[in-house]
Amino acid sequence: MNTSILIAKDLWKSYAKTDAVRGLTFEISRGEFFGLLGPNGAGKTTTIGLLSGLIEPTRGHVVIDGVDLFSRSMEAKARLGLVPQNFALYPTLSAHDNLVFFGRIYGLNGKHLRERIARVLGIVELTDRVNQTVATFSNGMKRRLNIAAGLLHEPEILILDEPTVGVDTQSRNAILESIHSLNQFGVTVLYTTHYIEEAQRLCDRVAIIDQGKIIALDSPARLIQDLGKGMIRMEFNTGIDDRLLEQMKCIGSVRVIDNQKRRIHIETDHADQASRDLLELMKTKDGLLMTLDISEPNLETVFIHLTGRNLRD
Amino acid sequence: MIRQIIAITLKELKVLWLDREALTLLFAMPMFFILVMSFALEGVFEAGSKGHPIPILVIHPNGGRLADQAIADLKRMEGLVLIETHEGIPLTPDKAEQLIGKGVYSLALHFPEGYTEKILKNSNDPQEEKAAVYLISDPAMNLQLLATAKGAIQGAIERRVLLARMPQRLKEMFGTLEGMGGQIDHLLENTNVTGPERSGVNFIHTFPKGYHIGRRPTATEQNVPAYTIFGVFFIVLTLASSFLQEKRDGTFRRILAAPLSKTALLIGKLLPYYLVNLIQIGLMFSIGAVVFGITLGNLPALIMVSLALAAVANGLGLLVAALGKTEAQVNGLSVLLAITLSALGGMMVPTFIMPDLMKTLSLFTPHAWALAGYHDIMIRGLGIKDILTEMSILLGFGSFFFALALWRFRFNE
Repeated sequence: MNTSILIAKDLWKSYAKTDAVRGLTFEISRGEFFGLLGPNGAGKTTTIGLLSGLIEPTRGHVVIDGVDLFSRSMEAKARLGLVPQNFALYPTLSAHDNLVFFGRIYGLNGKHLRERIARVLGIVELTDRVNQTVATFSNGMKRRLNIAAGLLHEPEILILDEPTVGVDTQSRNAILESIHSLNQFGVTVLYTTHYIEEAQRLCDRVAIIDQGKIIALDSPARLIQDLGKGMIRMEFNTGIDDRLLEQMKCIGSVRVIDNQKRRIHIETDHADQASRDLLELMKTKDGLLMTLDISEPNLETVFIHLTGRNLRD
Repeated sequence: MIRQIIAITLKELKVLWLDREALTLLFAMPMFFILVMSFALEGVFEAGSKGHPIPILVIHPNGGRLADQAIADLKRMEGLVLIETHEGIPLTPDKAEQLIGKGVYSLALHFPEGYTEKILKNSNDPQEEKAAVYLISDPAMNLQLLATAKGAIQGAIERRVLLARMPQRLKEMFGTLEGMGGQIDHLLENTNVTGPERSGVNFIHTFPKGYHIGRRPTATEQNVPAYTIFGVFFIVLTLASSFLQEKRDGTFRRILAAPLSKTALLIGKLLPYYLVNLIQIGLMFSIGAVVFGITLGNLPALIMVSLALAAVANGLGLLVAALGKTEAQVNGLSVLLAITLSALGGMMVPTFIMPDLMKTLSLFTPHAWALAGYHDIMIRGLGIKDILTEMSILLGFGSFFFALALWRFRFNE
């Protein structure tokens, strides 16, 4: 059996004026929880479109479970389950009717379809809402039903495009738990998000994507270990003078965020010590410092280290 | 609060301004209606006037002096134009029927050979055969126009007949008075010249040969197919909006990620609208038949035109779905097409009373051809082989709309 369930090779997608995806190459192993992490507009959704056969690549190949996605698309697509970023449900239909429709699209019917509907509703904990119209669902419930629809045909790999956008913390945790359980039962998951905590918590490996390119790919722990820095973010009441800026440079790597020199970031290997040094420095500058935010190394600081920008910019 | 209102207003104006196509439609729609309806309705208000006379074909081979005089009188009348030749050749009854059958003209007047002689030798003997004048009309001709033209024709003919027969009548009258004394009242009654039967002319109204119908169409027979076609094209709005919603909600994305071809998706998506159209047509014609008693004519032919019509409407719906990027664009374009094409195609005003330019333009609408097909079947009593032209043109429209739509349609927008 092939250990790679998904292979993307030199994948490009160009539009009239831009290259949305630029030469993506990676493999996802069977049973792996793989994350695509990047800011909005990084090319995640285009990548999902390419990996699920919705968008024809300008160049490159995608192979799903040994089957080329573009030359044998029907066979390859049968192995994929897509949970789009939109709810992608019919709001005037009930949960049951939505699932019946999507099940039939995948060729399920009769007893098997009924059993699958019952199973997936159980996974996302919506069994008691089966006959309720989707329009009456909360965003969290819609997200869960969205996932259920992607699971109906028992795909080899489940592709989830930002499945927790716009839901409250409680629903988000429930969704993440469901997805984690699915992965524990052997479903390979390709997960896109711009939430660092989700990627860190769930993913075996993460590809950090920016401007259509993978800029780092490894396990979250190794990425943080190799590339993560502590981050101190400061905001001042007025712009700071050059002398203070020079003093800060002795503490860590300084990045001036705005032209007025009111927002400063300092990257350092030792965030605790650096923050103590900074506070010492600011003692004589009464009332100048407005906010101070200290982050331990994480995937976001990895992203900032690699790109100079925040994930949520 | 005022600042918030201003902010919302500015935002909304910006959104509207950025959706240039919808904005254009907003202005173009009333402009189109004004132009199309004004040109189309020009015929209603002005048909039969000096500027828009009713054309009448005239056939009078050896009809004689009285026929010539009646024709000369009719030519002098405002609101009528008499046509005696076609492509330089004097008209014959067959040619006139052919031209009416093709829909080029709606009315013909035929003075048969020996018409004048028969009038002049006619007497008050009720047993003697009267001289006949034939009116040949398109069964689908507007009844008001027909009545106007018929009244003018009868008036002119009877006037000439009476003038011609006056000397003979006077002679008969005075000759009889000398010998009959007190029976003057009875004779005066016989000289009453106002009744058509007294003019000695028999007006015979016919339809072109091959039209298996012996009566004129009713208003319902005109309106049921016209307004059915009008209604059928409102599917464009429903269909295009549905496509737009699928794209917007992401359900298309989900469906296309499944092992399903785009063709299957399109067919599955269009089929219900096609069926709705057919049910719509069936229901409208059933109401026409049951409630108003209209004759549906040849059913297989009627079904064939309906199948083609529904295909055209669905093709146009898909085209609007392909072109409209926002809800406002889809709504504007659908309503614009549904009403403008209907008006232009003769659904609101029959094309035969439209000016020539509008008549020509109507041929570029599927509506006009569908209506022609239905009228051929229901009013003119024709069958499948007689409506092949209309069918082919309708299918041509359908193919054109589908081809253009498929070229422009983007699943992943």
